[in-house]
Amino acid sequence: MATDRTAKVTWTGTLMDGAGRIEGVGSGAFGPLEVNWASRAESPEGRTSPEELVAAAWASCFSMALSHALAGAGTPAERLEASVTVTFQPGEGITKGAIVVVGTVPGVDHDGFVEQAEGAKVNCPVSKALTGIPEVTLDATLAN
Amino acid sequence: MPRIVRDADVAWEGNLARGHGAMTAATSGAFIGLSYSLPTRIGDPEGKTSPEELLAAAHGGCFTMSLAGELTGAGTPPGRLDVHCRITMDEVEGRGHLIVHSALEVHASVPDLSEDAFAAAVEAAHSGCSFSTLLRDAGVSIDIQTTLES
Repeated sequence: MATDRTAKVTWTGTLMDGAGRIEGVGSGAFGPLEVNWASRAESPEGRTSPEELVAAAWASCFSMALSHALAGAGTPAERLEASVTVTFQPGEGITKGAIVVVGTVPGVDHDGFVEQAEGAKVNCPVSKALTGIPEVTLDATLAN
Repeated sequence: MPRIVRDADVAWEGNLARGHGAMTAATSGAFIGLSYSLPTRIGDPEGKTSPEELLAAAHGGCFTMSLAGELTGAGTPPGRLDVHCRITMDEVEGRGHLIVHSALEVHASVPDLSEDAFAAAVEAAHSGCSFSTLLRDAGVSIDIQTTLES
């Protein structure tokens, strides 16, 4: 079954001096969120950006995929903490994604955890939509 | 121009079917601890966001800024742009769940702009937006519907 998710964005004025708003999303979970060029390309000053939103999309997708893979291997996770850093080079595009995950997973060793994390990095739907990013790194460690 | 780096943090507890996660915009703090789960990701959202909804906000935000940039560069900055983005995830045989489609609906108010010049700016924005490029590279179909009000 297909799943649709929506967002509405407005912009007024020029790129450099104008202002945008993510007015809202279909679920109502957040918004409005202010966005502008300075907060995207320079200091965020409390404002989000497309790169930060995709970092959140990726980290949340990766976490679910890893949770699923660990449970499938008979070693369900108690807790996963994932951070994603997305690097944007104006004029060039998204050049790098760095995934860092720390897991509390009883019954798994370091190599087993890394193997499942590598699988989630490749298989989560957001990863599959971002295969054009030239460099994607993974740093997976166990807390237990 | 220097590289721009943005971070997000997610904590997940439990298994896939009954576990839940919380996501935070770590660089800006614009949102903190937004909860999500599998049932709300694929079914009724019940007020909770999801990776695909964040992707819709990211693609919509990127395209909107890209179009504002193209219109500004052409000497016809927008009065107002309204952009709606819909991301579709589906199960594709043999490949599991994939992001298959992004639909952008663009409503623009731009003084003194012809339909042809608007179409050219939309095309350039689609080429220039980094998320449009990534989604295209991954085989995601992108549909753009536009209306112009002068």
